[in-house]
Amino acid sequence: MSEARWTRYLRFIRRDVAADVDEELEFHIAMREQRNLALGMSPGSARADAVERFGDVDGVRKRLVNHDARRQTSRDRREYIADCLQDVRFGWRSLRRAPAFATAAILTLALGIGANAAIFSAVEAIVLRPLPYSRPDELVSVGTGSSGEFVALRERVRSFESMAAFVTQTHPFDDGDEAVRLEGAAITTNLLATLGVKPLLGRAFTEEEGVLGNNTTLLLSYGLWQRRFGGSHDVIGRRILLEGVPHTIVGVMPPSFQFPDKEAQYWQPYAFNPANVGFTWAVGDKRIIARIAGGVTLAQADRELRAVWPTLRKLNPLWEPGPDYRLDASVRPLQDSVVGSARTLLWILFGCVLLVLLIGCVNVANLLLARATARERELAVRAALGGGRGRLIRQLVTESLLLSGIGSVLGVALAYVALRWFVTLMPAGVPRTHEITLNGTVLGFTAAVAIVAGILFGIIPALRATTVARSAVGTAGRRATAGVAHHRIAGMLVAAEVALAVLLSVASVLLVRSFSALRNVEPGFEATTVIAARVSPPGERYRDPARITSFYSGLLDKVRATPGVRSAAAVDKLPMAQSIWGAAVRVEGQFEDGKHPLPDIGHFQAVTPGYFETMGIRLLRGRAFSDADRGDQPPVAVISQSVARHFWPNDDAVGKRIGYAWDSPWMTVIGVVADTKQDSLRDTLSTSMYVPWQQRSRMSGNEMWLVARAAGEPTSLAGVLRRLVQEADRSVPISDVRTMEMVLADSVQKARFTTLLVSAFACAALILGAVGIYGVMSYLVAQRAQEMGIRMALGASVRDVMGLVVSRGARLAATGAAVGVVAAFIATRALSSLLYGVGARDPLTFVAVPLLFLIVAVAASSAPAWRATRVDPVRALRAD
Amino acid sequence: MERDSNDLLQGTLAILILKTLLPGPAHGYAIARWVEDTTGDVLRIEEGSLYPALRRLEDRGWVTSDWGVSENNRRARFYTLTAAGRKHLRNEATVWLKYSQAVTRVLRAAPAIA
Repeated sequence: MSEARWTRYLRFIRRDVAADVDEELEFHIAMREQRNLALGMSPGSARADAVERFGDVDGVRKRLVNHDARRQTSRDRREYIADCLQDVRFGWRSLRRAPAFATAAILTLALGIGANAAIFSAVEAIVLRPLPYSRPDELVSVGTGSSGEFVALRERVRSFESMAAFVTQTHPFDDGDEAVRLEGAAITTNLLATLGVKPLLGRAFTEEEGVLGNNTTLLLSYGLWQRRFGGSHDVIGRRILLEGVPHTIVGVMPPSFQFPDKEAQYWQPYAFNPANVGFTWAVGDKRIIARIAGGVTLAQADRELRAVWPTLRKLNPLWEPGPDYRLDASVRPLQDSVVGSARTLLWILFGCVLLVLLIGCVNVANLLLARATARERELAVRAALGGGRGRLIRQLVTESLLLSGIGSVLGVALAYVALRWFVTLMPAGVPRTHEITLNGTVLGFTAAVAIVAGILFGIIPALRATTVARSAVGTAGRRATAGVAHHRIAGMLVAAEVALAVLLSVASVLLVRSFSALRNVEPGFEATTVIAARVSPPGERYRDPARITSFYSGLLDKVRATPGVRSAAAVDKLPMAQSIWGAAVRVEGQFEDGKHPLPDIGHFQAVTPGYFETMGIRLLRGRAFSDADRGDQPPVAVISQSVARHFWPNDDAVGKRIGYAWDSPWMTVIGVVADTKQDSLRDTLSTSMYVPWQQRSRMSGNEMWLVARAAGEPTSLAGVLRRLVQEADRSVPISDVRTMEMVLADSVQKARFTTLLVSAFACAALILGAVGIYGVMSYLVAQRAQEMGIRMALGASVRDVMGLVVSRGARLAATGAAVGVVAAFIATRALSSLLYGVGARDPLTFVAVPLLFLIVAVAASSAPAWRATRVDPVRALRAD
Repeated sequence: MERDSNDLLQGTLAILILKTLLPGPAHGYAIARWVEDTTGDVLRIEEGSLYPALRRLEDRGWVTSDWGVSENNRRARFYTLTAAGRKHLRNEATVWLKYSQAVTRVLRAAPAIA
């Protein structure tokens, strides 16, 4: 007790430590001097004697100052901690006295903070955390090109320490037990060294393995090793069949190595084959990465690449690229290219959860305000007893920090649970999802959010409450005094809340509208009742074209003979399921002067007869393929409508000749079909060229997709397709057996994910906003019960009183909505890359959402309004 | 002689100060005067050493200090004996008295020292 009084006393006189020491010593010497004078010494010698008796004045002074300063510091610290603990204890007690308030506030905060922790952990793992390679900041993405371009660049560009390339691929894989199709990548032999990654087991590829014929070695992913080989160490040196060709396993990669994405299960050396000019120069699908040399900046490397790459124009032996060839070359951090469009998506989601948390904070601030008014007497008494304003504010802010602290602990628990679900929900294209964890960074972020939130929602009510407390000391807390200012602040908070909720809802409605627009896009084919399956005969076993032809012909005959199948066909690349590449083409009689770049066709597909019929793609002119279009017959092609219109705008395309850019025979156009969306429903222009499957180039590989149109429900055919393929040849894997409806749905998975999450957040915002309005209007009605009673007593009708309350609520909502609309007008531009078929400033949305909020505001304030009309005038007048 | 008594003082300064504070709070000068008066200048302490000693006693919780007003109306720092200090003084004094009595008995025993 003496300690407490002592410290409080000290606070008021907290003086300079040195001054205190000086005063104490000076007192001593002065007293001695006085006594010496009284004993009859001369003034001069009295002082000198006093000092002499004292001894080493300066030395003692220094020791004392040091000592006291140290003691002061530790006392301050102890006192501060003691105060904090006292505040926390007090806050805890006062929260326990108001369990309903505390529960509401904590739950609101737990949800808000938990959602933030979950989304932030994704942002942290995917966007912020450096890639798991050595010195990741030196790694860059150089772009996509052909292997010819890659080799030429590697010889010329000086800014890079090393350059590597890779291409994703998929192959049938057979370990003797079961044939499956695996995703993997062919990587240049220096790729692992460029990234600075070593195998967990075994060795990396050697340079010799980059030569065609030597590239029959494999690295396994950790997952594949565990799944198919039980994590056994003697897997090194084992031979397995890839494309039917024996490959030797030389190593296993660590689990963290998921390159270029989590689908990759194996890696194979990329073999250069300069002899195959067409393959070397025409297939520009190699993704090139590099490590920047020491001392070179990204900007320098970028400048060099921009200067060098366009000069490779002359090297292309196949065609003369246009003058704008590779002018857009650029060097980007590898992380940017890995994260890609997921970055925008994640930041948008993060922005949304932050908004939800802000709205939650506003609600809690409102609750605190209402509570502060209820606690006015207590605070007034505390103020009167000498608790300074700063101390009171600190007490109240501690209370709100306590709320946000408990809320964040609960929130982290929630995030922990939600994260598993959230990760499985993530669209397939989002990289690095396996790295998402609630790690130290996320916890630190959550703690920071909790503190900022606690101060944010605590400080205004605390300032407000303490002002009232001071002014109310005299009047001992008559409620009327606090009313007006409180209502203004509460009103402002609610308006802010509505503004934030409107902003979120506008974003959500835009996404929902564009999602539904996307789902209503006509893909150009009839997806209903079509089922597809990916069939991957191993290349070695089916090297002979006759064998592959008879395999598919036999298979298709059996599928067609299955009851319930209307028609069946096969295509080498299924729309919406994988990227379908195209390339430059020659057109007879056009672009032949060598001055113009050859035009591109977006997609090449090889199809069996019956494909257009099975997929429901309309034949507009000419004929479709027939069994007569065999490999030994004159080459023919079917083109889509846009291609026909582009090359022969005033002429019939049928009968004209078209060819690949590389050296190949002309193909005669025999038919024109409708355009179809091939890569995604968002495709704006979709140009396609189809060739008969028996005339396709050997580059396409053996893989085809079976497509079958069912008479009824197509899912029932899945088992049949599996069985038929198994029966035809057990070494042929069948995978991705899905209806076209499912394929279409998966193609908009990202849009669905975004829409779902943002809508969930918007719903939360809407509910929180409604609760906020309801809370404030209820409080306002309770505060003004007296006034309402008097109004009713003076003859105001129920309608008048209800109108008074409801119009106040509506006014608040209208103000907030107006601000929110302006904010949304600016902010939704960030969404534009995600929108489809609806503008970022879609007028309907910008009118409907604020209207919705007005309706919600009226609804939320009508219950309190109705209560206002039930006020008994007599009791209201007696109340205070 | 003087050096010896100073060594003696170093060891016992704490007890002297605590004893001085037994009747009531006092400031540093008063403590110095009381020691000087009571011991009749036998134990001449260097007054400056009093203050670090007081700080040490404070750190150990045997005295507390507080600013107050002196007899001649000046601001002065007053030192007060705490309960712990009182107990310590009692223990130390008992030990000291027993010790000095024993030494005295030995010295008084025959044969007399000159």
